[in-house]
Amino acid sequence: MDITREVLEFLYREAELLDEGRYREWLSLTTEDVLYQVPVRLTRERPPEGGYGGVSERMFHLDEDRTSLEMRVARLETGFAWAEDPPSRLRHFVTNVRVGEPKPTERGEEVEVRSNLLVFRSRWDRPEYTFLSAERRDLLRRENGTWKLARRVVILDQSTLPTHNLSFFL
Amino acid sequence: MGSGKTAKGMERVPRLLRELAEGLEEGLVPAGILNDPEIFELEKERIFSRSWIYLAHASEVPSPGDYVLRYILNNAFIVVRGEDGQVRAFLDMCRHRGMRVCRAEAGNASHFRCPFHGWTYRNDGTLVGVPAEREAFGEGFNKAEWGLVPIPKLAEFDGLIFGNLDPEAPSLEAWLGDARWYLELVTKRSPQGLEVLGPPQRFVVNTDWKLALETFISDSYHTLMTHRSMIELGIAPRDAKYAMYGEQIHIPGKGHGTMVVGGPPGAKLPPFWGYPEEMMERARTSYPTREQWEVARETRIFLITLFPNFSLHNPIRKPDHRYPTPVPMLTFRVWHPLGPGRIEIFSWGMVEKDAPEWFKEKARHSYLRFFGSSGTFEQDDTEIWSHVAQNAGSTLGRRLRFNYQMGQNVAPDPNWPGPGVAYPINFTDENLRNFYRRYLELMLG
Repeated sequence: MDITREVLEFLYREAELLDEGRYREWLSLTTEDVLYQVPVRLTRERPPEGGYGGVSERMFHLDEDRTSLEMRVARLETGFAWAEDPPSRLRHFVTNVRVGEPKPTERGEEVEVRSNLLVFRSRWDRPEYTFLSAERRDLLRRENGTWKLARRVVILDQSTLPTHNLSFFL
Repeated sequence: MGSGKTAKGMERVPRLLRELAEGLEEGLVPAGILNDPEIFELEKERIFSRSWIYLAHASEVPSPGDYVLRYILNNAFIVVRGEDGQVRAFLDMCRHRGMRVCRAEAGNASHFRCPFHGWTYRNDGTLVGVPAEREAFGEGFNKAEWGLVPIPKLAEFDGLIFGNLDPEAPSLEAWLGDARWYLELVTKRSPQGLEVLGPPQRFVVNTDWKLALETFISDSYHTLMTHRSMIELGIAPRDAKYAMYGEQIHIPGKGHGTMVVGGPPGAKLPPFWGYPEEMMERARTSYPTREQWEVARETRIFLITLFPNFSLHNPIRKPDHRYPTPVPMLTFRVWHPLGPGRIEIFSWGMVEKDAPEWFKEKARHSYLRFFGSSGTFEQDDTEIWSHVAQNAGSTLGRRLRFNYQMGQNVAPDPNWPGPGVAYPINFTDENLRNFYRRYLELMLG
């Protein structure tokens, strides 16, 4: 199977687990040394070198390793995590997937993947909803023949979050 | 109901405030003061246009030209350090025709140039450039009269920068009063003081600013249910009543309140919040008084709320549920009111400037994983605050009176070494009753 197809299948499978709240299974898609970051986004002047700036290197909404991700998942399983109980209805839309060149490393074969993300969130019986829009910058690693998430940096398109918490994963 | 102040709304405000005044000492607070458009209009005028509001920490603007953009109500202020090293704050509004002259949330600038017609201001607010000045405005145009408008009052306490919209406001020192002694437990823990760990997280919650504040000024009682998930995980102490212990202290006449929690009896917790020993050693000599050092040494969880909308929270914590040793965290926040039943939270992670680098990194993790936008404690707070606000704004719900009677029969602690009025238990609403006394004084004044 070609690599783009494999990566797409990984991302769609992952989105399904996140949408359905199957967080233990989602955790198993991450490597032991996974780094998962959502930096704070700031309005900044256009950098002279072009592109965009305003991605804080110092402060994050989430800055997680495997252990802290496990803690967040374990919390949801306690039955007392009111922020997600009842759970938000989430839908992860993953598009514009750009797959880099796979590279052999001492940790295994790795590939950088960028994609666009739109997350829809609805809670309770209110018609209002929130959207979070972002770019994902992922590093996938092949472990025992299957792709796993080794690093994810989520570049939010919002400076001020339009939602009252980030009680779910992007 | 139409927009603006209806006759009915105008009657409602005095009635609600009267009801609050009459019920407060019995511990009865009308739900209707929350999430109410007319009450909010009056709060804008009587509370937020007269009070000292936290804007920034000096470490956010360490060098000349550094600036951050901050708000009091819907007024945007550029908080900027001038070339002379002095911090000033200016309304981000061109004196010519009102465009915003600051182009970012943070940065460094020697000048602010308006993109509308090009009027240009130095970072001390002076108007220095007017395109085609002579042709457009003539020889006699006096630029000195057209500088950026400074905030009516600005003052700093140990790096904490506050602004006030009222030119007649009392000094920040007078405003803080005895809260200073408690603030110093954090600001003077190290001779170097504090620094921000980065820019603030900003997120919006559909709730009343008073509800957020209530949790941080007094409501230890919510921890056993709201934060039950963290007790189950072993992150919060196993004794579900852990937050009951310690002292709850209010500053009479000022509205400020603090909670100083040692730890459940029998719990083996390291002294001094669990900060590294080298930091504890420095604190021993950097506190102004021996009493402050002695209180700090026995503290594990510490909160202060300054009237009306600044809180800090400084608990003993671990960066995750498996980490072997405590790494306490410190957060500053502003409960910035956006409208009735709607706030924006500005949440900063803070740390001592001279803390070891490994500790700063772990303190940042402790903060992010438990407080702020994704915090596993705070997530549940914001969820609950938004539903309370929704109920308080409902036609039947707003007629209810809430129960603020907890701890009414507890006598003050005569042996507490610090200023203010201390109660020897945190399951009390005493700080809330004190807050609402001050609130009423301003709202009726």
